[in-house]
Amino acid sequence: MQSNSLFEKMSSRLDELSILPKLDEAVSIPQLIEEKGFSRREFMGWAAAMTSMLMLPANFTPLVAKAAELADRLPLVWLHMAECTGCSESLLRSSSPSIDSLIFDYISLEYHETIMAASGWQAEQNLEHAMEKYKGKYILMVEGGIPQGLSDFYLTVGAHGKTGEKHAKEAAENAAAIFAIGTCSSFGGVQAAAPNPTNAQPLSKITNKTVINVPGCPPSESNIVGTLVHFILYGTLPALDIYNRPKWAYGLRIHDACERRGRFDAGEFVQQFGDEGAKKGFCLYKVGCKGPYTFNNCSKQKFNQGTSWPIQSGHGCMGCSEPNFWDTMGIVHEPLANRLYHTTFGGLGSDATADKIGLGLLTVTAVAIAAHAAISVLKNPEV
Amino acid sequence: MSSTHTKSATIEQHIDIEGHVGIDEHIGRDLEYSAAYRWQHWIRAFSIVALIATGFYIAVPVITPAATNEPTNFLYALFRTWHIIIGFVFISAILLKSYLFIFAKKHVNERAALKDMINPIVWAKQIGFYLLINKHPKLKGVYNPMQFMAYLLFYLMAFSLIITGLILYVHVYHEGLGAFLYEPMRSVEVMLGGLAFVRELHHMLMWGVILFILIHIYIAVYNAIFIREGTIDAIISGVKWHKRV
Repeated sequence: MQSNSLFEKMSSRLDELSILPKLDEAVSIPQLIEEKGFSRREFMGWAAAMTSMLMLPANFTPLVAKAAELADRLPLVWLHMAECTGCSESLLRSSSPSIDSLIFDYISLEYHETIMAASGWQAEQNLEHAMEKYKGKYILMVEGGIPQGLSDFYLTVGAHGKTGEKHAKEAAENAAAIFAIGTCSSFGGVQAAAPNPTNAQPLSKITNKTVINVPGCPPSESNIVGTLVHFILYGTLPALDIYNRPKWAYGLRIHDACERRGRFDAGEFVQQFGDEGAKKGFCLYKVGCKGPYTFNNCSKQKFNQGTSWPIQSGHGCMGCSEPNFWDTMGIVHEPLANRLYHTTFGGLGSDATADKIGLGLLTVTAVAIAAHAAISVLKNPEV
Repeated sequence: MSSTHTKSATIEQHIDIEGHVGIDEHIGRDLEYSAAYRWQHWIRAFSIVALIATGFYIAVPVITPAATNEPTNFLYALFRTWHIIIGFVFISAILLKSYLFIFAKKHVNERAALKDMINPIVWAKQIGFYLLINKHPKLKGVYNPMQFMAYLLFYLMAFSLIITGLILYVHVYHEGLGAFLYEPMRSVEVMLGGLAFVRELHHMLMWGVILFILIHIYIAVYNAIFIREGTIDAIISGVKWHKRV
């Protein structure tokens, strides 16, 4: 019953959307997908996979397909902040474009610095125009951390030399939904790592509106497009975990659905890269896999059209979709137990692991105990 | 040492009112620790040792089977399972002891130690005793202020270990108690700055407990040797010998 009412709700939402004007009346997404060499069957296969990824029953597949076809009805503004454009690249630069990237290519992108034709004053004008024309209706996707406050000058964008912070604030003001794409805009990312010289902050610190985080470095194309399709289908924000990440993608740890989990539980570990265990596909925990501390669906969705993902290719997870992963996950190729504490005890314990510091303290205590015991034996304590 | 030996040689044996054999009418037996207290102490002690051993293995799995295609015995999963089972034993012991300390009638002598805790003179005397400059202070409760402070710190570490342990636990078992605790534990996880730091904190707190154990055993042995009230025996038999004044 519940799924029936959800089905009807989504259907009427899609009917409403289909009345809205298209980006270009001459082309449509189904037409475009066919032109690029995907059969209808392949497209429906993609829609079925997307349906299951969004944790909807299989009979919702036609709705998901329709939502994808209507993706050109929703205006989208994509801002680039302090970042490497890797998130956009994750979608755009595939050798054989997937349906995900095709849809992304053709959604009503009002402003996207990497792929727009306009430049300079014209680009600025496009952005202002889009934000005015689609006030309260456009989806905002932001890529990159944002230097904040007194450090905002570290990021200026466009001919007006406007700071990134101002750009993001203005764009967030009238957006229907705000998505932070990638770890930088979700949590600050690498440039926010200690000592964070530019005071880069996540988007959620810049605006007080609700921000949906889609972290990852980069997030997989299916997580980006999935977030978009989810919004088209529901018109509301998805169920979120404690870090405002959609639960359907970030509900479980990498470790929970890892293909090498059996090796982990069996105690079969790669001791060093290239050894017999590595060849046999053993667990990468001892060579620094941070999958046990990282929430993402990489093992299920994978990257590059589902070709592979880090652990499948024999390298541990770096924890890239976690807040402050650069600071908290320690050395990339060492387990967390071997994390070094750079400034412990004013430099005395520098570059030592917790175990080394612990052993040091234990030794000091043991020496003190021995000294106290020796003195006490020589000079009996008064009772 | 020789002077104490000659002293004890002159003490006569006698039998007290309850029929217990005593050594002097000036020395009396007092129930220091209840049976529940002693049981939970030893259960906790053994659980801590087991938790440290399995915990070190979980952090860095040092024993691994050779890379063969033979069926495995799931060594790592076993270590983790035992760590979790013993972890819950530890939690139970800590909760029982906390209940006893706050509510139990027999444990009024524990709570009496609070009075010494807030008395600066007892503090000064206690420190002086360990510095070998004055006599041991007279205590109202079973713990001296330094001891009480150390135990307070231990319980702070124990509860932090339990919380961080439960956060790690809810990500391993998603049903039952794991499901029940999932949401609250994730909130604490965010407060602490993410799962990776929770795991580190758990590891650091373990080192705190190791240090505590070393000092705890030393001071217990020290008291047993120099004060001669049966300090070590008290945690097994429950009674201590005090001079009657």
